Amino acid sequence: MRLEVDEHRCVGAGQCAWIAPGLFTQRPGDGVVVLLRPEPSGDEAPYAREAIEACPARAIRMTDTPAPPSAASTEETPR
Amino acid sequence: MSPEGAVRPSIPAAVPASTDPPAFPFRRDDPLHPPAALRRAPDDRRPLRVTLWHGGRAWVVTGHDQVRAILADDARFSGRFAQPGLPTVTAARVAVDQDERAFVGMDNPDHDRYRRMFTQEFSVPRIRALQPRIERIADELLDAMVAAGPPQDLVQAFAVGFPSLVMSALIGSPYEDHRFIIECAAARHGLTQTPETARLKARELAAYFRRLIDAKAQRPGDDLVTRILNEHVLPGRLTRDEFAEIGAMLLRAGHDTTANMIGMGTLLVLRDDRLRARLAGDADAMRPAVDELLRFVSPVQFSPRRVAKVDVEVGGETVRAGDGLFLSLGAANRDPTVFDRPDRIDSGRETVRHVAFGFGIHQCLGQTLARVELQVAFTAILRRLPSLRLAVPFEEIRFKDDMQIFGVHALPVAW
Repeated sequence: MRLEVDEHRCVGAGQCAWIAPGLFTQRPGDGVVVLLRPEPSGDEAPYAREAIEACPARAIRMTDTPAPPSAASTEETPR
Repeated sequence: MSPEGAVRPSIPAAVPASTDPPAFPFRRDDPLHPPAALRRAPDDRRPLRVTLWHGGRAWVVTGHDQVRAILADDARFSGRFAQPGLPTVTAARVAVDQDERAFVGMDNPDHDRYRRMFTQEFSVPRIRALQPRIERIADELLDAMVAAGPPQDLVQAFAVGFPSLVMSALIGSPYEDHRFIIECAAARHGLTQTPETARLKARELAAYFRRLIDAKAQRPGDDLVTRILNEHVLPGRLTRDEFAEIGAMLLRAGHDTTANMIGMGTLLVLRDDRLRARLAGDADAMRPAVDELLRFVSPVQFSPRRVAKVDVEVGGETVRAGDGLFLSLGAANRDPTVFDRPDRIDSGRETVRHVAFGFGIHQCLGQTLARVELQVAFTAILRRLPSLRLAVPFEEIRFKDDMQIFGVHALPVAW
């Protein structure tokens, strides 16, 4: 189970960072989603699913595929 | 589906047998619930055909899944203001739609370009940082209310002033101006004002914000206006006039909606002993309760709106290209296929699937601020005034049937 976010779709409504602050925050400057940890723990999974459901821009996805080995994970934005 | 969840007994037929669709907006038969015609049987997914004030037609979409799908579908629906077909509830609304220059009335890509300049001001980290200040503002207002003694109108003594003081702290507008700001917001959000008044007040508020921008350029502060000036206006990404139009939108939205939710939410808590006991005894209960109250009240009644760009099938009806639609947030938030016993306030509901803040790219920019304000307000009221009660019978409370944002005009309370 792996989370992916689409920064271009994001409208900065902040639902994800409100629902699952351990997984998502909002970038300074433009409020766009920052994925803090792409792989939620078992305890966090329901919140991740709720964030996906709540996102008004449908900018969060959950995939079953593991992290691609090469693409050194665009999600892990330096903070 | 079992009808037992419905507190009120009847779900009437949606459209009377007549050639002319019913006039919209509908009147509420009960101030605590959406109008009967918007309350649909679980298996009835058809949007309603309605007649508008000028004789034109529009659709009203009431299903939760339908409302969300349409608001998320920018490819097939446009929300651009003042385009042919975009439905309105008054002639005054036509006038303010025509004058609107803020991103609330734009489609993409323009919408996102402007909105992104403002999102960080309302981001979760920013609002969390503001929370202690919001709590102080609530405490100070309640101190003054307690000092003045009962009875008091909670709307005037607290609900109006609280978001005004918070917006004043965030934006940098002088607090003394809040009556003017609220007057301008009411002139836009009413159902009875003339187009001339609505247009004049909209222009006055933008002109006010333009003067505020110029004042902050002279005397910077630790506030939204100064930050947007430095980050977006001075580098040339945003003109002062564009900022003034967006600023007027932020002022209107920030003052009026939260104030109405505080008044309605307090009334509902006072009428519900179980909810009240739960909120008073468990700090963790407030957060889901606020979203449940938002779902139940859904104060924004006649927005959002869209125009179909192509022919689309919605709930068994064909919506033609060019047709206008109201997406009824209040109806969607009572959809019995999504919310079990939708007419009951259940603070144990664990999802924020309600659409009180809308959905799609235009979903409320200030929703985190609103949630925090409401949590802080209800928590402070219940803590400071544990014996709070209505000072008049429920039947004497005047509801905002004359406004697009629903609420109470006054809430006389004692303690």
